[in-house]
Order: sequence, then C-alpha cells, then structure tokens
Amino acid sequence: MTLAFRSYGKLIRGFLLITSFMAFSAAAQDYSTLGVSDIVASANLKLKRGDYAGAIPPLQEVVDRFRDLTDPAKIEVLQNARFQLARALYKTGDIPAGMEVLTEYLEQEPRKQERMALRMVAQGLFEVHDWEQIEKVAAKLLALPDLSPDDRLNANLMLGQALFQAQKWKECIAPLTYMERESKDKESKQAAQIMIVRALVEAEDWKELFVWIPRVFRTDAKYDITLNLTAMKAAKALFSQDDALNSLVLYRMVLSREMLIEFSNKRIVRLSRKLAKDEKTGIPEKIRKERLKEIEEIRSLIEKITELPPYEDEVAFRIGKIYHELLRYWEGYVLFEKIYTEAPDSEIGAAAILELVLTLYDLQEIDRAEEQVLSYLEARITGKSASMLLSMMMRDNLLKQNGEKVVSLQKYMDTLPTTTDADETSIKGDLHYMMAFGHFQTGDHKASEDQFNIIITDFPESQRLPDSYYYLGMTYMMRAEYQNAIDAFGVYQEKYPEGEYYSDAIFRQGVCFLGLNNASEAEKIFTLFIETYPTGKFVSEAYSMRGDIEASKDGQDDPKTPDVDEYDPETLDRALADYRKAMDTASTPKQAAYAAFQAAEVYKLEFKWQEVIDLMEYYLNLKGSDADVAQAVFWIGKAQISMGQINEAIEAYLDAILKFGGDVNQEGVDKIIDELISVAEYRLSDEDRELFAVKLKLKMTDIDPTEKVLLLRLNVALALLMGEEEINALGSSFLKENQSLKIVTPISLAVLCNVAVAEDDTEQMGRLYEHFVENFEDSEKLWTAYRAKAYQLLAADDFIAVTNVIEEAQGLYGSDSFMGWSQIIKGDTLFKMKLYDEAEPAYNTVMGVPAWRGPLYAEAMYGMGKCRLANQDFEGAHTFFQRTYLLFKAYANGEWAAKGYLAAADCLLELDRKEDAVKTWKDMIENDYVNTLPAVETAKKMIKKYGDT
Amino acid sequence: MNKVFLAGLLSGIFLMVGIAEAQPITVELKMGAKRSWRGQVISRDGEWIEFKIDNSPKPMRIGVEKVTELIFEVEIDTEKISKKLENREYDGVIAMLGRAIKPFAEYDDIPSNLTKYNALLMELYYRTWEYDKSLLISSKIAKDSRNPALQKKSRMYQVLALIDGGKVAEAEAFISEYGWDQNLADDTSPEKLYIAAKLLALKKQYSEAMLCVAKVIAFNSQDPDWMQPAEILCAEIYTELGLYDSAEEVCRQIELFYRDSPEFDAAVKLRVRIKKLRAE
Repeated sequence: MTLAFRSYGKLIRGFLLITSFMAFSAAAQDYSTLGVSDIVASANLKLKRGDYAGAIPPLQEVVDRFRDLTDPAKIEVLQNARFQLARALYKTGDIPAGMEVLTEYLEQEPRKQERMALRMVAQGLFEVHDWEQIEKVAAKLLALPDLSPDDRLNANLMLGQALFQAQKWKECIAPLTYMERESKDKESKQAAQIMIVRALVEAEDWKELFVWIPRVFRTDAKYDITLNLTAMKAAKALFSQDDALNSLVLYRMVLSREMLIEFSNKRIVRLSRKLAKDEKTGIPEKIRKERLKEIEEIRSLIEKITELPPYEDEVAFRIGKIYHELLRYWEGYVLFEKIYTEAPDSEIGAAAILELVLTLYDLQEIDRAEEQVLSYLEARITGKSASMLLSMMMRDNLLKQNGEKVVSLQKYMDTLPTTTDADETSIKGDLHYMMAFGHFQTGDHKASEDQFNIIITDFPESQRLPDSYYYLGMTYMMRAEYQNAIDAFGVYQEKYPEGEYYSDAIFRQGVCFLGLNNASEAEKIFTLFIETYPTGKFVSEAYSMRGDIEASKDGQDDPKTPDVDEYDPETLDRALADYRKAMDTASTPKQAAYAAFQAAEVYKLEFKWQEVIDLMEYYLNLKGSDADVAQAVFWIGKAQISMGQINEAIEAYLDAILKFGGDVNQEGVDKIIDELISVAEYRLSDEDRELFAVKLKLKMTDIDPTEKVLLLRLNVALALLMGEEEINALGSSFLKENQSLKIVTPISLAVLCNVAVAEDDTEQMGRLYEHFVENFEDSEKLWTAYRAKAYQLLAADDFIAVTNVIEEAQGLYGSDSFMGWSQIIKGDTLFKMKLYDEAEPAYNTVMGVPAWRGPLYAEAMYGMGKCRLANQDFEGAHTFFQRTYLLFKAYANGEWAAKGYLAAADCLLELDRKEDAVKTWKDMIENDYVNTLPAVETAKKMIKKYGDT
Repeated sequence: MNKVFLAGLLSGIFLMVGIAEAQPITVELKMGAKRSWRGQVISRDGEWIEFKIDNSPKPMRIGVEKVTELIFEVEIDTEKISKKLENREYDGVIAMLGRAIKPFAEYDDIPSNLTKYNALLMELYYRTWEYDKSLLISSKIAKDSRNPALQKKSRMYQVLALIDGGKVAEAEAFISEYGWDQNLADDTSPEKLYIAAKLLALKKQYSEAMLCVAKVIAFNSQDPDWMQPAEILCAEIYTELGLYDSAEEVCRQIELFYRDSPEFDAAVKLRVRIKKLRAE
C-alpha cells in the first residue's frame, strides 16, 4: 500500500521548505578542525543547495561534539543538528541511519520538530513494514497537543494503515474513516474506502459494511480487484455457513472480470501517461519507482484475476440461491433464467433450470413452471436436469390431485435415458412411484399396479420399495381383487414388520375380508387391530366396521342347525358400543359422523327414538364445530317425527335448513329436505301441507337474494312439496338458463339429472354427472347422476361405456329400490347390441327384485318379449307381450299394456293367426286401462285392415 | 438516482455564496461565441431585458433569445440545506430554495444557473408527492439542452411524476415516444426497467412489473441510484402480489442496507401497511 508513503513524501517536501536553520558560514571539508559555527554554516549551505550527502559529515560532526554537553543552548543546537542529520540521511536513502538519529532526537528535550520527527520515523518504519512500531509512533503523534489538521490527518493515515497491515481489522476502521472523511485527495479517499470495506469484511462488521457499500459503489473503488476478490472469498465462506444475507451483500459487490480488467487497464494507461509527463518535467527517482511499482501491482492483479476460472455465473447463481432463500423469488428467478438461457447445456445451466422451476413453483406460477419443464423435456430429454424437472412437475400435480397431468408425463418418463448413477436411479424410482399414484388418482389401478411392480422389480434399492409393496395391495383392493390385496398386504407385513404402513396393512386386510364377505375373519382382524393399535389412525374406522359387522348379524337362531344355539340378543348392543368407541376415537370429523349416524340407524332398527336423540346430542357435544350438525338435526327430527312430535320436528328442520342451507357442503340439509317432504306428504293434511308451503314461501321472501345456495334449496323443497309439474318446471328452467352448478347441492342435482333425462338433454346429462361425481361422491342421490350418464351414453350408442357405468352404479347401490332403471338400461343396451340371449336374462333379473315391482316389471316383461321377437321366436314373444298386458295393465297408466297388446297382435300375425290378432286388438279397445291411450288408434286401424277376414 | 444528484449539486453549486439584491440583480450574462459580461439586469420587458454592464454608464436592451445563460448570484446556506437533506426535511429545503430563487423568478424562462436549483426542487417535489409541481419543473428542464445528463434526468422525473400522479395514458405516450418500452431485456438500463415496472404496477400487471424490477435489482446491484428505489418498489409489488413474507423481507433488508434514506422511511411505512393487510 503506497498511500501513506506518498502522502508522507509530500509532507517531507513541505517541511523542507519551511524549516529554518541557524545561519553559519563555512568552507572547509575537514570539520574536526573547524569551529561549530563554521560547520553549521557549511551544513546549512549544502542543505540549501540540496546537497544532502554533503551535509551529512558536518551535521554528524556537530552531533558528535555536542552529544555529551549539558548547556541548554548547546543541547538545542545538538537537537537541531540531529533532526537535520536525520533528514539528510532520509534524503540520501539511508533511512535506518536516519531513524537511529531520530530515536536519539526523540529521547531528548527540546524537541521542537517532534511531530515531523515522529512522521519521519513512521516513514522509516513503513519501509521495513514494522507495523507495530508505526502504530506506537502514530499513537504518540496523535497524543500530542494542538495538532494541526494536516498532522492529525497524516497521523490517522499512518495509524489506520499500520493497523490495517497488522490485520487489526476492527481497530483500523476508525483512523481510516477519519482519513476518508477529511482527505481532500480523491485517490486517498478511495484507497481509504477500499481498506475500510476490506477491514469491515474481515472484521465481519456487516452492519457498518452496509453503510459503506453504497458509498463505495459511487466511486471507482468498486473496481479494485483486491476488494472484489476479498468480497468474493468472504461471500463464499458466508454462503457455506448459511449466512445468506451477509453473503448476498458481499456477492453483490463483485463485478465481472471483464469490467475489472477494463477499468484496471485504463488506470494503467492513465498512470503511465502521468508518469511519462512528470518524467519530462523531472521527478525524484523514488517517486518514479513508487509509480512504476503501483502500475506493476495493478498488472499483477490483472494477471491474477485473468487466471481465475470464470466466476460470474457462479456468483450470479449463488446470488439467485440467496434471493430464493430470503423469499425474494422474482430476483432469483431472473438470475436463474439468464444463466440458463445463456448456457442451457452447461453444468451451471442445468442447475439454473432446476432452481428456476423451483422458484416458479414457490411463486405458484404453475403455468410458467410447467412450460419451462415441458420445453426442457422436449428439447433435452437426455439433459442432466430432465429427471429432476419431471419429478418436480409430477410431484406438484400429485399434491394437487391432478393425476391426469401426472399420467400425461409418462411418455417423458419412459424415454429418459438408462443410467447407472445411483442418484439418478433413485430419482427414476421416485418417478415410477409418483406415476403409480398418478394412475391411482385417475382410477386406473391396473396401471398403478404396473408401476409399483416396476419399482419392486427394477428398483430394489429404491427408498420407495416398502411403500410400493403396501400400495400394490391398495391397487388390488381398489379393484375389488380382495384376495390379491390380502396377499400383498401380507407380504408387506412379512417383509417390513417395522414398516410405516404395518398397522395400516392389517387394517386393510380386515377391509378386504369384508369385501370377500368373510365377516368373521374381518371381525377377528378388526379386533386384533383395535387391541394392538388402540390409538392408531384407523382405530375409529375399525370400530365402525366391526360395528357394521355386528349390526348386520340378525341375532337369530339358524334353522339349518337346530342343534346349535346361535341366538345372540346382544349383537346390536355390541354394534352400538363399537360405534360409540368409534366416535370417541375418531381423528377426523368424517370418522365420527359415520359412527354416529350408523349408530342412529341401529337405534332406528330397534325403534329407540329417544336414544337417537340422546346419541345425536352426545355427538354434537363431542365434536362441536366439527360435527355434521345438519345430519344430526335430521336424525333428531326423524326421531321426533317417529315419537309423534311432528310440529317440533318440522320447526327444527326448517330452522336447520335456514341456518345451514347456505353452505353447499352441508349435505345433511338435503337429507332434511327429503325427510321434510316425506313428512309433509305422509303426516300432514292437505290443509297443513298448503300452510307449510305458504310458510316456506314467506321464509324465502326474507332471504337475501345473494344467498343463492339456500334459495335454490328452498325452491327445490317447495317444488317437491307441490308435485312433479313444479319439479319439472323448476329443473327445466334451471337447465335452459344453463346456470352455474356451483350453487347446486345433491337434492337439486338429483332433480336436474331426472329432468335432463326426461327432456333427453344429453349435454346437460354429461355436465350434471361430472359435477355430481366430482363434488358429492358420497351423496345418497349420486345414482341419479349415474342414471343420467347411462342415458347420455345410450343416446350416443356407446354401449360398452353404458355397461361400465351400469356396473359401477350397481356395484355401489346393488338392487336398492331406486336402482331398477339400471337393470332395464342394461337390458336395453344388450338388446341394442343385438345380444338378445343376454338381454332377455337381464330383463328377467328385474322381475326377481321385489323392490322394483311396478312399471319396471311391465317394461322388463315387454323387453323379454322384444328379445324373443328379435330371435324370431314369435310364440315366446307373444307369451311375454301377453303377460305384459294381462299382469301389468295398471302400471304407467296402461302404457306398457298398450304396447304389449300391439306387439302381441303383431306376433300373432307373424304366426298367421289373424283372427287371434284381431281379437287381441278388440280386447285392447275394450280394456278400460288402455282404451283412452293414442295407441288404440293403431288397434282400430288394424281391425279395419284385418277385421273382415 | 436522487443521492447522486443531491451530492453533485451540493458539491458544486452550493459553493457559490453571494449577495442577491432586490433590484437590480447582479448577474453574469452570457451570449453566443463565448461572450460574457458581468453586470446587472435592471428590468424585463417581454422578450427584452435591460442589462447594465459593470462600469458602463448606461444600460442596454438585449433580446432574450440572444442570451445563452444568466449566472445569478444565489444566496443560500449550503450547510443548512445539506443538514436538512441529510435529515430528509424536504419541505424545509423546498422552502429555502423557493426563497433563494424567488428574486430571479422574472427570468426563470431564460437558461440560467437556476436550473440546478430547479432540478433539486423537481426531485424534492417528487419526493414529497407534489407530482404536478415536479412535472412543471421537469418539463422545463427537459427543454434545456445545455446539460444532457440533467436533461435525461428531467425526462425520467417527468415520466415518474406522470406515473405516480396516476396519469397512465400520458405516461404511456411519453414512454412510447422515447422508446423506453421497447426491448426490455436483462441488460436494459436500470432506469428503463424501473420506469416500466412502475407503469406496469400502476396498471396492476404485477407479475410483469415484478419481472422488470427484479431485473433492476438482480443485474444492477452496484447502481445505488436505481437499486434503492427499485428495492422499495419491489417490496410494494410483492405486497400487491400478496407475498407478504417476501415483501417484509425486502423491507427488512432496505432498513438494514439503506439507513437514513427515503427508502428506509418508505419501508417502515410499508411494513405497517403489510401488518394491517395481514390482519384483514
């Protein structure tokens, strides 16, 4: 560092101009023979001429002669001579000798030039890098009274620089700051700034550094190569210590190599020109050497930074990482984007794209993130980041339950290059694992099974292996392949007795046994599970399922085994106890609700209505705000109705509808509406029913029009109360307006599904089905959506899809009273597929379900006739058509009977039994159930045609 | 942006301390071909001024269009202004400057050394949300071609005042006129990016605005003139995007890095706003 030396040089020159000395005259060279006055005069003359070497002998002579004298006047002369001798020695370059003289000078009084002497000592010490001594000298200088501003400035400079060189970072900052503040010299200021910033970095005084950095950025000090290297080194160290903020501050100081070299080269040119100019006018050799040294130092730094490997991208990358870490996502994003765009195939480019996408995900800029991922995968499937990017996109979509998107990425996953790298293999294992869940989410459990099997077979080292065994069982379970599932869960338990899903696997086995209708085995497993994992996450469900098993037992003696007493009057009590436990151990609102309402069903079987009310109150108290209040109110009302408290129940229902009906997700409200309509229909007089309708209308006038969900529910309730015409009108108007389905709840959806089917509106059938399934999967009315979907598919002649929907619906609802349509459609579909031999038994199945008795029987019988007819079995067909009009003439206002008559007559014509045919038409005309229908006109025409024969 | 200007101004013009008398006004009058005279302007008569050269017995009439510059002797306490600026007492500085240049108001349409004071006023009015006043001054300075750097700066203030004053259409037209909305890339100058970000934010296109301001910060971290205002704009946009944690982090960093700055004050205020937003 040349700052202090150069500055000191100026001071020396200044000193020489102002220093006076006693005037003596002398001429001789042999001073030992001369008097003191002559010697001094000679020295003075030489000094004035600038002959410092010549001045040394006379001055030395004076010092030698006067050294031991005690006379104050002579001592003063001695001290002056010492000071001038030291000055001359300095000038001739013999600084050590000069410093020796100055030491003697400073040890004796008087010291009129003490400040200058101290500065000269400091200069000497600078030459030998004796920072400790300089520190002492500078401190001594600063302690002197009445220092001039110039002296104070230089003393601080010396002290600051000495401390800096001695790496006393904290101590050097104050004197250097003084220097930076007070100096008028731009270069000195900058040099001080550089030293201060460096010292602050080394001292890790970040708070103060933050103040200095903007100041440094406003000067050329920012181009100092040493400063940049220091900042980079310190930033890297801090980065590795996770000190993000301070690392950021330092990294932001680092300029590009190009900028630093350009600036430094310009500086060399500037300094060289100045030196050349000064050399022409004359410049002391010492100064010239200093300048050359400075230029050399810059050259050396340029060389040093040129030799460094490229650092700019790494710095930018780290800054980006820090920004990301400090939640400054967008700043990180633009840096990563630049790095990646400039060198997409480089190592750092590959790292940047990962960070870039990660940042976009953190910002929830999903479209941008996916665009980047897909664009990378399209262009660089063999790129270093391909698998990781794929993993990110799959993970994000999995978390969002967007299985279809995950599955859409399989083509990329399958084209990833093969690898032997352990990390890459591990990522690939993860990809298959996620792909398995993607398929799981889309309901393609077979494809999911395939992916889990790939992990088991091809990725034995994968961390996902144990889970894959478990989920393999789940894929079987979801496809109702219960025995396979039981086996898979068994394998998991055997292989991973400490596995995360060990207890889950046991529970699932119980569920699967239930699926196999092996209730006794299931019960055993649930009991084992409850005893082994009394606080497990599935314990509530285990209690509920065991309760379901108990509740399903009839408790009666089996007549087939009269010698064995199977009678068990306690079975329902045990079921209730299990449900109560299930409520108490529930970890989710759904678990508690299931148990509570199943228990209510059991009480209902036993007509224990007060118990139902008590149970619901217990449930409401237990779950508080998590309780399904509407469902609970439904059960309380139901119990009240059964106990004859009709008005109380109606009031409670109405109150619950108004209170919770605005929430689409309160499905219990829909059950209440159902029950309310049923009560109104069967328990109220016509007059009371009308009064209730008026009351409903009045209530609706008080409701804010923005409460659309509640208003729609009440409108549907009112329409259901008023009858089919009102229901159809309401549904039809809603569908015509194509209103948003966001406000629609299951009871309304059911109405809309039925209206859409009645009006053959296939577009709405599809839309309603999608919405219903997506939003109210557990609704009791979901079957109406399946029905709508089946009709939509039937209209499109997509027979395979129809049979799949029917199968799914029947799998869910079996032969419940409202499911007869499914079997009819099944028959119709098979018929359309010309599979008459399969269609006939399908129709026949309808006849075997007592709950479907009614018009469906007539339709099924007629369907069987159609099958026979299609097979040219006219006799058989005639029999079924005849049965249709004989057995079911009253159903559907005689519609099926009319069809039966006409079809039966047609069969008779085919059998060449015209008379019987005419008789059939005549019977039809005379039959009171059908003779008002339009179909009779056909019969009359046929009689006209064949009657005379 | 602002500090450089303030610092330059203070180190230069405030060195001039003189006595300004009510009438006549001491001035150095410059005309073409580097001609200049010291003297007093006695009065103004439309497009003419009456000017008396020192030691000349009689004043003469000079056409305003022939005057290239007037150098007035402005009486101002530079130390006090510096102190007030340091303490961010902008209203006080505005008042002081207003008083100092008031005697020369009659000549403020003629190029003069008052431009420097007006430039400071332009910036201070902007800082104190007096956008119309800032705009009035910046529009005048923008027409003065003597100092291209200052002219450029005044254009920046013009557009900033338009944006912050909510004049979207005018701001867009202005930006388009100078092509500042073209080719906004990573290496675009920070001032262009900053202005683009401000305009986009005003139009509530926050993601696009954030992209621009993020580039100022990411690629111009050694430019404190634009870095500091960009940082606070960035915090504001994070707030608008609902990324409160990010906004608070930027505020925290501003408070750490830029102590005693207008951005520090803005960050403190923004933190209070975020707190309220979180509570809503």
